[in-house]
Amino acid sequence: MFFVLSIPPLYHTLKRTLFLTFLFGAVVATGCTGNPEAGAFTRSVTDDLGRTVLLPPSVERVVTIAPNLTEIVFVAGAGHKLVGVTTADDYPPAVDSLPHFGALPLDFEAIAVLKPDLVLANANINNPRDAETFDALDLPILFFSFQTLDEIFQRVRTIGDLLGTASHAAAAADSLEAAVAALRQTTDRAEERPLTLFLIDDETLFAFGSESYMHALIDLAGGRSATAEIEAVRPILNEEYVLTRKPEVIFGSFGEDYDPARLLEHHPTWDIVPAVRDGRIYSLNPDLVLRPTPRLLEGVRQMARRLHPALFPTTETPPAPTETP
Amino acid sequence: MRTLLLTVGGLLALLLFSVGAALAVGSEVALGEVYRVLWHHLTPGALPLLDETADRIVWQLRMPRVLLALLVGGGLSIIGVAMQTLVRNPLAEPYILGISSGASAGAALFYLGFLPPLLSQTLSLPLAAFIGGLLSITVVYLVARTGSRVSVARLLLAGVAMSSFMAAITAFVTYASPNPQKLQAVLFWLLGSFSSTHWDLLPLPAIVTGVGLLLMIGLARPLDAMLMGDEPAHSLGVPVEATKRLLIVLAALVTGILVASSGAIGFVGLIVPHAVRTVVGVTHRRLVPLSFLAGALFLLWADVASRVLLPGEELPVGVITAFCGVPFFLVLLRRSEYGFG
Repeated sequence: MFFVLSIPPLYHTLKRTLFLTFLFGAVVATGCTGNPEAGAFTRSVTDDLGRTVLLPPSVERVVTIAPNLTEIVFVAGAGHKLVGVTTADDYPPAVDSLPHFGALPLDFEAIAVLKPDLVLANANINNPRDAETFDALDLPILFFSFQTLDEIFQRVRTIGDLLGTASHAAAAADSLEAAVAALRQTTDRAEERPLTLFLIDDETLFAFGSESYMHALIDLAGGRSATAEIEAVRPILNEEYVLTRKPEVIFGSFGEDYDPARLLEHHPTWDIVPAVRDGRIYSLNPDLVLRPTPRLLEGVRQMARRLHPALFPTTETPPAPTETP
Repeated sequence: MRTLLLTVGGLLALLLFSVGAALAVGSEVALGEVYRVLWHHLTPGALPLLDETADRIVWQLRMPRVLLALLVGGGLSIIGVAMQTLVRNPLAEPYILGISSGASAGAALFYLGFLPPLLSQTLSLPLAAFIGGLLSITVVYLVARTGSRVSVARLLLAGVAMSSFMAAITAFVTYASPNPQKLQAVLFWLLGSFSSTHWDLLPLPAIVTGVGLLLMIGLARPLDAMLMGDEPAHSLGVPVEATKRLLIVLAALVTGILVASSGAIGFVGLIVPHAVRTVVGVTHRRLVPLSFLAGALFLLWADVASRVLLPGEELPVGVITAFCGVPFFLVLLRRSEYGFG
């Protein structure tokens, strides 16, 4: 019983939040103001934790300590400035050739060796107290928070500004926003919006509670989220709840090669749930729905195609724009 | 004898009422519908079913869940009695010989993909947990045994050591796991839950717990004697070593199966026997049946709490047993002139 306590609690907090994704965040405010005391070309930037950080005039060596920021840096057109990422990073494929360092716990020594001009952190999964360690190492670090699709696109612009690829980043963000608007237009034509249940795990029924971004994604995909009223960050659903709520479609982040029959095997009473009865169980690549990156748009597109196949003729939609180096 | 029968009868009535109540609470199923479903299944053909959803909820989800909660609560409580008498130590509980840690390690190894699924997906986890528990207690037993005698001190120390060892395995595999989703599931399982109970999971726990209860009632007199120590018990004609071995095997079997079916639910096996002793004293003739009933009742209501406290959500039942059980137990300890053995 008691050994649960012997696992370092911080590790669990981190691990949990790693895929718990976006919570609350302050509004980012970046400004390029000349600071005479620190040199004419130094910029002062305020991050989402409200910390004010001085940056060199141009940032050439960037380290990200959360996988979603790596993806955003690439989308912002600054992937070539990355000099190191965490061992959890796996996208885009270009990261494979970069040095990887451990993230749990954060390998400060390995990061210091990379001599970054700027470290980018995710306020929702990285420990804010790490900032002190980075300050002591004299490495500037900025924390960003993400809670909506719009905010993610906004961060693409912010990071483009910081890393000197502002026009590339703005163009990428514009096209992402246009893609969202186009998708919204398509799904708005749907005659009915199916009740949609999103499950994070197939066995233990982790789902998204009322404050989650997931309901907005399901709405954009043309569905109604079944767990939007549950007042918890990440509830473990009761099987009864699913039976009485009667979702018409079930999405899961169980991976792309998941066999939907396994869901019924774990929950044999669900054979009368409309989604199960009609064979509308779809498993998605977790990285497309649990990671706060522009790839969420691809996750939403896949959900929209499953929810409203009639609205999406057979042609595949092109993938979200990534950097062309 | 009459008071014992009266108490057992009273508790049984309370149990029956509790089962009825537990089946009726939860998400929006009308009371009439609940009993209609029950009547439909108990008297085949008498009443047609109206609502399929209500049937699934009451008969396929709540009923097996209620029954398993009763079995696990009762089973862990009598094994708690057995362990406390075996080692003559009030701190003893069903998990003291490393069974739960072993089962948890087995479950964690399986969950996180370090062990292949041997049977079907749903049965492989209990199997992995059972093998883990059995492995752990086998090592403990082999260490504690010298010739035909079992040293209680060595049994306890080996149990504690083995628990730590197995816990280290669990900690390591959870730390090394690349899959955060599954990690959450393992933690949920480790705290114990009846959330995934279905009828297929019931027969084995029912058989071992039933056998355990009958054996423990049959052993009431030898167990009373053993409380006085090995020598006095021996001089009273109790085959002490054989009884010890029987208790260890029984504990391994019952605890192993129960932990495998519902996770390592804590505190029931420690608290219930002590709470019952404060009321009826230490004689096993009373202690065993009453502990079984009290443990069953306690875990039944703990499970009800775990599924209705947060609407639509599940809490690990182990959290409830600790939250409600421990303060109650402390008050009981403080208020009564409690002596052990």
